[in-house]
Amino acid sequence: MSDEEHHFESKADAGASKTYPQQAGTIRKNGYIVIKGRPCKVVEVSTSKTGKHGHAKCHFVAIDIFTAKKLEDIVPSSHNCDVPHVNRTDYQLIDISEDGFVSLLTDSGGTKDDLRLPTDDSLLTQIKDGFAEGKDLVVTVMSAMGEEQICALKDIGPKN
Amino acid sequence: MRRLPGGGADLPQLQSTMLAIEQACSSIQMHANPTEAEKIIVSLHDSPMPYQLCQFILENSHMPIARFLAAAAIRVAALREWGLLTDEDKRNLIVFFLGFVMERASASDTYVQSKVSAVAAQLIKRGWQDFTEGDKAAIFLEVKRASEGIYGVDAQFAGMDFLESLVSEFSPSTATSMGLPREFHELCQSSFEKNYLKEFYVWGQNAAVSFGDKIVGSAATTMSEIKVCSAALRLMCQILNWSFKQAASVSGPSSSKTHAFSSGIRHDTLLLKKFERSLVEPGPAWHDVLISSGHTIWILNLYEALRQKYSSDNLLWIDSPLAVSARQLIVQLCSLSGSIFPSDNGQMQIKHLTQILSAIIKWIEPADLILEAITNEHRDSEVLDACHALLSIATLTDCMLFDNLLRSVRPFGTLRVLSTLTCEVVKAYTASADEDDRWSSEALDILLEAWGVVLGRSDFTKTSISTEAVADTANLFNVIVESYLNAAARTALDDDNQSEHFHASISRRDEMLRSYSLIARAAADVTVPFLVGLFSERVSLLLSQKSTNDAISLLEELYWLLLITGHVLTDSGEGETILVPEALQASFSNIPEEAQHPVVVLSCFARHSLDPETRACYFSPRLMEAVIWFLARWADTYVMPLDGTKGHICTPHESQASKRVLHSFAGENDQGKLVLDTIIRISMVALSSYPGENELQTMTCHHLLVALVRRRNVCAHLVTLESWAGIANAFVNERTLFQLNARVQRYLAQALVSAAFGLKDSEASNQYVRNLLGPMTTYLKDISIQNNLKGFAQQADVIYTVICLMERLRGAMRATQPRTQKATFEMGHAVMDSLLTLLEVYKNQSAVVYQILKFVVDLVDAQVTFLNAEDTSILVSFCLQLLKVYSSHNIGKISLSLSSSLQSEAQFEKYKDLRALLQLLVHLCSKDLVDFSSGSDEVDSPEIANVVFIGLHIITPLISLDLLKYPKLSFDYFALLSHMLEVYPEKVAQLNKDAFAHIAHTLDFGLHCQDIDVVDRCLRAVDALVSYHFKSRVKGEEGLGAYAIDSQGTNGELQESILKRFLRILLQLLLFEDFRMELVGSMADALLPLLLCEHDSYQRMVHELLERQSNPDTKIRLADALQRLTSTNQLTSSLERSNRQRFRKNLQIFLTDISGYMRTK
Repeated sequence: MSDEEHHFESKADAGASKTYPQQAGTIRKNGYIVIKGRPCKVVEVSTSKTGKHGHAKCHFVAIDIFTAKKLEDIVPSSHNCDVPHVNRTDYQLIDISEDGFVSLLTDSGGTKDDLRLPTDDSLLTQIKDGFAEGKDLVVTVMSAMGEEQICALKDIGPKN
Repeated sequence: MRRLPGGGADLPQLQSTMLAIEQACSSIQMHANPTEAEKIIVSLHDSPMPYQLCQFILENSHMPIARFLAAAAIRVAALREWGLLTDEDKRNLIVFFLGFVMERASASDTYVQSKVSAVAAQLIKRGWQDFTEGDKAAIFLEVKRASEGIYGVDAQFAGMDFLESLVSEFSPSTATSMGLPREFHELCQSSFEKNYLKEFYVWGQNAAVSFGDKIVGSAATTMSEIKVCSAALRLMCQILNWSFKQAASVSGPSSSKTHAFSSGIRHDTLLLKKFERSLVEPGPAWHDVLISSGHTIWILNLYEALRQKYSSDNLLWIDSPLAVSARQLIVQLCSLSGSIFPSDNGQMQIKHLTQILSAIIKWIEPADLILEAITNEHRDSEVLDACHALLSIATLTDCMLFDNLLRSVRPFGTLRVLSTLTCEVVKAYTASADEDDRWSSEALDILLEAWGVVLGRSDFTKTSISTEAVADTANLFNVIVESYLNAAARTALDDDNQSEHFHASISRRDEMLRSYSLIARAAADVTVPFLVGLFSERVSLLLSQKSTNDAISLLEELYWLLLITGHVLTDSGEGETILVPEALQASFSNIPEEAQHPVVVLSCFARHSLDPETRACYFSPRLMEAVIWFLARWADTYVMPLDGTKGHICTPHESQASKRVLHSFAGENDQGKLVLDTIIRISMVALSSYPGENELQTMTCHHLLVALVRRRNVCAHLVTLESWAGIANAFVNERTLFQLNARVQRYLAQALVSAAFGLKDSEASNQYVRNLLGPMTTYLKDISIQNNLKGFAQQADVIYTVICLMERLRGAMRATQPRTQKATFEMGHAVMDSLLTLLEVYKNQSAVVYQILKFVVDLVDAQVTFLNAEDTSILVSFCLQLLKVYSSHNIGKISLSLSSSLQSEAQFEKYKDLRALLQLLVHLCSKDLVDFSSGSDEVDSPEIANVVFIGLHIITPLISLDLLKYPKLSFDYFALLSHMLEVYPEKVAQLNKDAFAHIAHTLDFGLHCQDIDVVDRCLRAVDALVSYHFKSRVKGEEGLGAYAIDSQGTNGELQESILKRFLRILLQLLLFEDFRMELVGSMADALLPLLLCEHDSYQRMVHELLERQSNPDTKIRLADALQRLTSTNQLTSSLERSNRQRFRKNLQIFLTDISGYMRTK
């Protein structure tokens, strides 16, 4: 296990690279993968062989985690694929500005004001309504490969 | 014509209604405004007493579909209002229908005719208990006259048709349920069988005989005469399909066993199920009709004569209804058995079978010409029927008798015929690449089943088959192998995706190969050396080739040879102890050298894969998969085999020679260790030299290694081998094995830990496990205490490593055995805190969360029954903490996404998490049922029931109604809930108000579920809860206490007590909703204690219910039925078993009573 320890300590300086190579055969359904430069979530993996006595290849069907577009890729299963670093961070919602930006409270006490409200209708209404009702809301922001988006919402009780 | 009930309407009114119905029918057919039209038709079904109207439509409408609907409406209405009709009305209805069918027998709209027939049959059955014998006789007299042809040919056909629907209606497997209990159907069946079945058969036979003679004899026969003849044959067939009850009870099993061995006739057979056939056992009463009257000869001659007559236009004729039904009758007669034959040592039955066999032999001889004709002209039905007949005969006879049956008419035995036919069918099957042309596959299935029956019996030995037959089977096997090799070579270059047409699915392929292996083993002395020859020929060809490209067809041939060889040499076992097949032990007695023993020779091919160069050139992943599969089965059978003759002194017998050779090749000696070592090195090659080949690696870890660690004596040698230590070392220290798919790593860990079994004492075993797992737990602990964990934890590589480690620990946990339990629990204990940290850090990485939860599920499952009080409380408090952490992350969380499929994926992940948590609680429950821990005297052991209730309380809010739509989740949830309520009702009373309300609410939801299992569980839970309350009240205790009393709700309104609420729900369910009869038992059990506890409220509810009924007739009948529900059958106010039984009966009667007029939503 010695090389393991060495391994994670060297990576301890966070976020050096945006993706990480991983053998195609080890990527499972629900994992992440980069297809055509986009970070995706795998929704289907099937394997087949190139000819009866050839090598295995993986057929991935995946969905872009930001745009929800469906993408597909076929990779020999012994080759490496890029796996994106997908991060999710929780922030408390402080304010919604009129031009569609939100203001979030970071862990360190500062604010983060560069995120737009989500385009998704139902999440949008939930955030707006919840905020209008004066609830204490925590939003989860998903980030990968330099993009960010609000992806979930949690109600942690009424504002005191 | 007698008047049917439901009058009141005059002629113009009837006519206008008929017009409306006809219009509705035509608009439905033209798809114009279908909802409106449907409404009109439904209203016809629902209207009270529509008989006269329907009669009017049947007699006067010009539209067949309107007549069809009228008949259907009468059926629905009569079954609904049966209780309201007088006996006179019922008889009139039936007489009307029968008259209608006979009179209009020549009408062209046959579907209306058969509908009316079927309705008449259903009504007769519905009233079977009400009518007197005289009534029935009068009805059937008409039918008899018709069947004799008194009313003309068309009516005769109608009579046959009616009898056929009657028989199928009375046969329980084809009956319509009519909402009546099973007892009713059984009573009808046995009375019908006793009094009428044989008579009807004779009627059919008479008709068939008279017309059969006529058709054969004269040149000019009308279509309708042929129609009657085939209808009569169909009726006879239908009757022989009956599952005879009376005969089965007459002939005890003992009487048949006595001459089972002497004559070769078998009675112990339940087979034929696969092709939906069963034995025909009508009993001695049928002897005169079926046997002594020469019935069999007659039908065989009839078919033969017809065959001759129509030989010119054979093609059309062979699939005509007459031919089909005649052949079906013949096939059905093949499976005639039981006490219908006199006890003459089977002579009569043998004669019977010989007769049939010598007739059907003409259908399949000469096999090659006939099959060629089929391929050209698609007339396969006769051959398929012949196959079915052969299978039936094989089922009823033993191998020797089966072979000899034909010798009276042919110079060779039946097995010769069977093998010739199979040869041709196999050729046709392997040659056809066409998916649609599947007659050969069907025929092959039947024939292989017949071979299985002949050769696969447990009492089959070499002596039960003649040398001539052995030669035939050997020849058959050669043809099979060659045909398959040709097919393999032909399809080798096909693309992987499409080429699977050859084997529709793996399990079907394995089943076929198993049948082939039976054939091979019957002639092992010839077939196994034949395989050896083919094998060595191809291996030497392969090794002499220079490039892989030319070799692909060779590879495919070898692939197939490995599969068939694996099947011939070994059995699949499936849970049984696997032994070397008898046939192989007994053969090859003349080969003393192990190096030349065919089994050894065949097994040595795998060794070539160890040479890197050969491997790179020739061992494709697919071939390697076959090698691994073969080795797994081979190792199970031949490596260090358990000596079946333990305790006996092995006498050097000639037939034992082969066994001795095999023992010395891979027994528990140095040679055996060498073999084992080779196998391990091959598996290491499969794991390390084929990156990304998941299937191959799964097969290696999940089959081959599992097979190696299955037996203790093998494990004992495994753990001493260097190669094994090599795998273990690679597993712990090397990165290559981290490249495997995470699931494969779990299997690998499981196999490695399982081998601890072979170490000599428990201390050594635990140390072995510690060495394997120590580094991983250390790694997990280290990572979780890193200060900057949050910083790097989300990197994909770290996530992947954590997932792999969790999978490995899971595998290890699953392999826990009593002797390694200590070490695995230490491992689990060591990572507990780390897991909580990781759960926190990875709360947004569903894959990691799921792995952690699954690990804990396996941890609890493997450990909980072994732990002492102290460790149990450690485990339990860990579980509760885990639940709390999980809940705090997920409660009230709404995740949304642009993509609906990602959204449903997220939902699905949630479902899997929750299901894992429920499993966790279920496993915890088992602590109370099974407890192996030693020190049970300590007092501070936590109460499992409390813990589980707290757990339920934590996770129930997470289970939304949406999630309960996943059937498995809702099943698990309600199973756990009802288990808890049944086992610990007293704890429920102590729950706080919220928790209790939640449980009550959930039960309420479950009772309205569609899933019958869930409703059943909920009913049982209600029963448990209320019975507990009732019993403790009788004892003067509190029972459910405050929950059983009406209370003031938060909003000031009076809230019903829980008991009243359940009572109301159950009554609602019974009376107004679509209640299913299967649930009567549990419903009665839940209702009875409720009635006892809340008698006054019940009376009040019943009163309200009756007040609401507008129809005075219904009101009286309902009141009456409710009265009888609670007061008949000496019902007492106790919850004893007998009383519950009585109440079940009452409820059943009650439901049958009200089925007609209640339950309208």
